[in-house]
Amino acid sequence: MNYHWDWMFFFQETDDGLKYYDWILSGLGWTTFVSLASLAVALTLGSVLGVMRTTPKRWLVGLGDAYVDVFRNVPLIVQLFMWFFVVPELVPEKLGIWMKQDLPYFVTAIVGLGLYTAARIAEQVKAGINSLSRGQRFAGLALGFTEWQTYRYVRLPMAYRIVLPALTSEAMNIFKNSAVTYAVGILELYFQYKQIIEKTSQVLEITIVVTLSYFILAFVMNRILAFVEARTRVPGLIVGQKGGK
Amino acid sequence: MSDFDFSVITQNWAFLAEGLRYTLQVTVTAMLGGILIGTLLALMRLSSIVPLQWFAAGYVNIFRSVPLVQVILAFYLIIPLVLQMITGKQIPIGAANSAYFTFTIFEAAYYSEIMRSGIQSIPKGQIAAGYALGFTYGQTMRFVVLPQAFRNMLPVLLTQTIILFQDVSLVYAIGATDFFGAADKITQRDLRPVEMYTTVAVVYFIICFTLSRLVKRLQSRIAIIR
Amino acid sequence: MIEIKNVSKWYGSFQVLTDCTTQVSKSEVVVVCGPSGSGKSTLIKCVNALEPFQQGSIVVDGIAVENPKTDLPKLRARVGMVFQNFELFPHMTITDNLAIAQIKVLGRGREEAVDKGLKLLDRVGLKNQAAKFPGQLSGGQQQRVAIARALAMDPICMLFDEPTSALDPEMINEVLDVMVQLAHEGMTMMCVTHEMGFARKVANRVIFMDRGAIVEDAAKEDFFGQPRSERAQTFLAKILNH
Repeated sequence: MNYHWDWMFFFQETDDGLKYYDWILSGLGWTTFVSLASLAVALTLGSVLGVMRTTPKRWLVGLGDAYVDVFRNVPLIVQLFMWFFVVPELVPEKLGIWMKQDLPYFVTAIVGLGLYTAARIAEQVKAGINSLSRGQRFAGLALGFTEWQTYRYVRLPMAYRIVLPALTSEAMNIFKNSAVTYAVGILELYFQYKQIIEKTSQVLEITIVVTLSYFILAFVMNRILAFVEARTRVPGLIVGQKGGK
Repeated sequence: MSDFDFSVITQNWAFLAEGLRYTLQVTVTAMLGGILIGTLLALMRLSSIVPLQWFAAGYVNIFRSVPLVQVILAFYLIIPLVLQMITGKQIPIGAANSAYFTFTIFEAAYYSEIMRSGIQSIPKGQIAAGYALGFTYGQTMRFVVLPQAFRNMLPVLLTQTIILFQDVSLVYAIGATDFFGAADKITQRDLRPVEMYTTVAVVYFIICFTLSRLVKRLQSRIAIIR
Repeated sequence: MIEIKNVSKWYGSFQVLTDCTTQVSKSEVVVVCGPSGSGKSTLIKCVNALEPFQQGSIVVDGIAVENPKTDLPKLRARVGMVFQNFELFPHMTITDNLAIAQIKVLGRGREEAVDKGLKLLDRVGLKNQAAKFPGQLSGGQQQRVAIARALAMDPICMLFDEPTSALDPEMINEVLDVMVQLAHEGMTMMCVTHEMGFARKVANRVIFMDRGAIVEDAAKEDFFGQPRSERAQTFLAKILNH
């Protein structure tokens, strides 16, 4: 085999005066930032949509369902391209120009990835709320809570606990999905991976390093949420066996 | 919106259709190959032979923690290296061909998790019944467990396939001309992003939405039979 | 206190309540019984508008619950309710279960709410369980906490929806004892239950429902003396033998 292994290339200087490992670290930073910011967008919007889809109001349910249908049935990369190249042409001209010239790339990318992931979170939140017994809502209402207060104090706190494992895997997915934002110019880890391959052709070394990096990111996210799960575990309650029928 | 030019779409429809055909071909190939390899991986994972368990677990965990775009690019570059190592010759396989291989291998990890939970959902009594009839392990799996697991998991397998169909758009990373790639190439030439990307989004939506509704219906039918 | 007039309710085309009329006066204890599916749980849930109804009217303390202008949360806060499956909030400690609605609905301070909650917890005999979570208590204990939670809101009347039917037999009495005590203190109570011993002891009136209608509505003595309807007789014979 005539492949030349060279692990030291990471310490070589690049055209811009940095070393290759600097590129990787910078990519790692952007990946983490874009992922966490998108996750925040997705959790917020996904929760709102999930709640909407469990209300007795038909039009709210319809709106939430339509959102989930649209955002789950179009590929992520196509959605990102829509936000970057199509939406600015469809909105009023001034706004379009502002989106193209002044709005930082990463904001559009975060919103795009966040809106995409929100559809998945909405599914989980809805499933969590629906898994609670109807009596929990009644009990809240009977105590004088408004419909909204039954969500705030009774239903959502339990629903989140129930779907935490599913949310964990969505949170891990978002790190992987953030790689797609390279296509709209975000200098995240995959972008750097591609760029380093073009410059050095040390494919195997860099593949191993980047694969490990993604592995570690997913692992850290998993541990953080396992910690949250342990902290919010309700004493005396076995998950999957909720009170009442 | 007023200057949305439909002629851009009609003029380039043949090229787009060609891209869509490629997308479908990769999807079907990776689905069939992925389910086959995935089932084998699931059986390995559930077998009593420890090295096989480890291999299957490692395979699944690695592919499930890495972004698909990265695997697409890595395989595109590494497959020729491996082929050269084996044959000693330079064999250019091209972006379009490498994707068939990448998606099959990658999706196998996801299909295997689905098949594993399908197999585990079959009551132990069914396996005992198989052995009681004199079946070997292989026969019990083939005639008793796998058909039931497959049927129970069919909606989930199909849902995964719809995701796969969408994921083929990521061959953008190696410049292959799938449906999205075709639209993107036309955009580069004609500078009509609105028409092109909107078309891709709408067509993807119609296909995936229809399929997921069908899967949902299938799911409720299976639920009734069970 | 509670006036139910000609109430009818449908699920689609299926009628679950047919022209129900009755009332519960102040300090009165009314027991509602009947076979399962007779609509008694639905009727009691109509009283605090947890279930909507299409015809008739229900007036609680002068307020019409079916009136769209009625502030339902405010009304419900004054009507205590106890459920078949307890419905304590599983993610909160017993103390928080007792305090949360006092704080968020009545606007009481946390200290006052906790104080009040603990006093009532003591009254139902569970003072030392305050820091636990619902999942760590037995069914009977959970139901007693649920009663305390409802009482903490200073309700003008209490609704009980089969409070003992999800309990193991040995736990039924601890809950009934609390209810009997409440009745003796003059609480206005409407109780859906099959516990005829409880009815004998404290009820003023007994209502018998069947197929969505009120078949019998009589003073306790008359009801147990000789129910007028044959269906009530059969029903009584069944549950008293068992």
